[in-house]
Amino acid sequence: MRISRAFASSIVLAMACVTDRAFADPVTITDQAGRTVTLNEPAERVVTIPMPMASTVIAIDGGPDRLVGMNPLSKTAILEGILGKIFPEAKDISSDVTAPNFIPNIEELAATNPELVVQWADYGADLVDPITNAGLNVVLISYGTEEKTKAYHQIVADAIGKPERAAAINSWRDTVAAEMREKTKDLADDQRPKVLYLGRAMENLTASGTKGNYNAWYIDLAGGVNASADVEGNGTTISPEQIAAWDPDVILLNSFEPQLGIDRIYNDPILSLTKAAQEKKVYKMPLGGYRWDPPSQESPLTWMWLGNLLHPEIFNYDLRAEMKKAYKTIYDYELTDEDIDGILWTEMQGDAPNYAQFKAN
Amino acid sequence: MSVVATAAPERRFSALRLGTFGALLLALLAAMLFAISAGRFSVSIPRIVEVLMAAALDPGATPAQMDERILLLVRLPRVLLAALSGAALAVGGAALQGVFRNPLVSPQVLGISQGAAFGGALALLLGYHGVVLLGLAFFFGLAALVMVGALARINGRTEVITVILSGMVIGALFGALVSIVQFIADPNTSLPAIVYWLMGSFSTATWARLGLAIPGMAIGLAIIFLLRYRLNLLALEDSEARSLGVNPDKERWLVFIAISLMTGTSVAVAGIVGWIGLVVPHAARILVGEDHRVLIPASALLGATYLTFVDTLARTLTAAEIPLGVLTALIGAPVFGLLLRRHFKEANRA
Repeated sequence: MRISRAFASSIVLAMACVTDRAFADPVTITDQAGRTVTLNEPAERVVTIPMPMASTVIAIDGGPDRLVGMNPLSKTAILEGILGKIFPEAKDISSDVTAPNFIPNIEELAATNPELVVQWADYGADLVDPITNAGLNVVLISYGTEEKTKAYHQIVADAIGKPERAAAINSWRDTVAAEMREKTKDLADDQRPKVLYLGRAMENLTASGTKGNYNAWYIDLAGGVNASADVEGNGTTISPEQIAAWDPDVILLNSFEPQLGIDRIYNDPILSLTKAAQEKKVYKMPLGGYRWDPPSQESPLTWMWLGNLLHPEIFNYDLRAEMKKAYKTIYDYELTDEDIDGILWTEMQGDAPNYAQFKAN
Repeated sequence: MSVVATAAPERRFSALRLGTFGALLLALLAAMLFAISAGRFSVSIPRIVEVLMAAALDPGATPAQMDERILLLVRLPRVLLAALSGAALAVGGAALQGVFRNPLVSPQVLGISQGAAFGGALALLLGYHGVVLLGLAFFFGLAALVMVGALARINGRTEVITVILSGMVIGALFGALVSIVQFIADPNTSLPAIVYWLMGSFSTATWARLGLAIPGMAIGLAIIFLLRYRLNLLALEDSEARSLGVNPDKERWLVFIAISLMTGTSVAVAGIVGWIGLVVPHAARILVGEDHRVLIPASALLGATYLTFVDTLARTLTAAEIPLGVLTALIGAPVFGLLLRRHFKEANRA
C-alpha cells in the first residue's frame, strides 16, 4: 500500500517535471573558455566555485535562492559583510563543494544536485574535468577586466533565464563609465594624481603594473594615473623604498586584509613621509556586497567613489543616493545610513580629505 | 693540548692566511657599502656619507627626511640582517658538514628548516605577523630538532646515520604540514603571503627584527666559534674521538642546537633562503682548507658577503622584490655543481 502510493506520487512528480521542461526552452551559452554549454532549461540550482561568483549570482538573480553551493571563502565574505545582513538565509548554503583553492570536492558537489557549476576558465583542466566527468554542466568564467566582467554577468544571467538582469547591470556600467570617461579623457598628465593601490600591506607590500590590472583601469577612468605602472605583473612584492621613489599622491588600501587600516601607512616611518600620507590621502577600499577593489556587480560605485575623491572639482556624485539606488535594484534592499557608513569605513577615514562629502547629511 | 695537536696539527697563522682574511674582510665591507648605496630611491654618495656620519655622531636622533629614513631605517637594518643571516647560515652549514664528515649536508637534512617553515606558515595562516611569526618559526624549528633527537636515540646512543635518516623523516613530516597549511590558506589573503615568505626575503627587515634575530644568531655563532677546535675531532670516527677524550654524542648535540638556533632564527626573519650553507663552506674550503679553526671564521665572512650582495641584487634589479631564495638557488646550484666537479677532479688526481 505504502509502496504503491509512493510509486504513484513519483509518477505524478515525474509528469510534472516533464510538462515543466516541455515549456522551458533550452539555453545555449558560450562561456569564457569558448566552450558551448547547453542546458535543457534555465538552471534552478547553481554552485559557484570562484570566490566573486557567489555574490554575482545573488546579484543577477536578486537573491540567494538558486545558490546551492559556494566557495567557503565566498560564504565567510557574505556572512561577514552586508549580504549576510540582507540575506541571512545564505548561512545555510553548502560550502563543502570546493576547497578554498578551487579544487572541487566532486561528491559534495554532486550531492547538492546542481544544474550548473561555475568554475574558473584560467586555472587549467584539472579544476574542470572532474566536474564534467561527473556529468555536471560547467560554465567557465574569466576575471580581471571590465569586458570580462560584463561577459560573465551575461553568461550567468542567460544560464538562470534572466538575461534582462545582466543587460540592466551592464548598461548601468556602460553609462557610468562613458560619462566618467568623457569628463577625464582630456585631463593633462599634471592634473592626474599618482594613485598607488596596495594589494597587500600587512606583512609584505604588493602593487601591480597596468596591463590586465582592473585597479589601474578604474584609476585611469577616475582621472588618476597608476603609480606602480613600471611593475611587471600583478600582485608583485615591492619594497617601501620603491614606494618612496614613486611618491604617490594617493594611496588606496585593499579591502581583503581585515586588520589593515589607514594607520598602517601613518605608522610606517617610510610610507608616512610619502606625499599621500603627508596630505592624509590614504583610503581603504570599501567593502560592500563584494569587495570594491576587484570587479563586481557594484563596480560603478567604486568608480564614483574614487572619482569624487580624486577630482571633487569634476565629479559630484551623490554616492549615498547612488548606493541606495543600486542596492535597491540589485538586491531589492533599502540600504540604511549605518550600512553605508560601514561599507565606506566612515568611522576610520571619515576625516580624510574629500571624505566629508560621503557623510550622511 | 697535545691531544688536540695530534688531531689537528697546530699551524700558525701564516702571512698568506692573514692576507686571505684581510681580503675577506675587505670584500664584506665593500659588499655592505655597495648595498647601502644601491636602491630604488636614489640617494647621492656624498649625501649617504653625510647621513651615515650624522647618525654615527648622534645615534639617538630620529631621522626626519625621507632619504635619511631610507638609509637608516630600511637599508641599514636590512644589510646588517642579511650579513648576519649569511654568516649564520654559512657557519651552520660548515659545522654540520664537519660533524657529519660529509660536504653535502645542510641544515635542511636535520628537518630544522622545514620545521621553522611550518611554524612561520602557520603564523601567516592565522593572520599573525612579526613577533608571533618569529616565535612560531623558531619554536617549530627547535621542535623538529628535538623530534629528530628523540627518534635517532636508540639504546642510549645516537649514530650519525640514524640522525640523518631521522632528519629526513621529520623534514618530510613538516614538509607535508607546510603543504596542508598552503592547501587550506585563503588564496585572497594568507596564501600569497605564505608563498612569498617561503621563497625567502629580507624585505620586511627593521631594527626591531634585527634585534629579534641577534640573540639566536649570536649565541649560535658563538657556540660554533668556541667549538671550532672540537669540530676537527668530531670529524673523526667516533671511536677515535672517544679515545682522544671527547664525548662526541654530547658535543654533536651542542652543535646541532647551535645550528637550529641560527637556522630557526634565519627562517623566522627571512623565510627559506637555501644553498648558503652548502655553497659558501665549499668556497671557503678552497680558500683556507679543511681546518675548522679557520674554516669557520672564513665561512662566516664569506657567507655575510655573499648574502649581502645577493640581497642587494634582489631588491635593486627591478621595481619588484625578487624572492631571495630563488636568486640564491639560481646562483648557488650551478656554482655548487662546478665546485663539486673541481672537488672530485682533485680527489681523483690525488
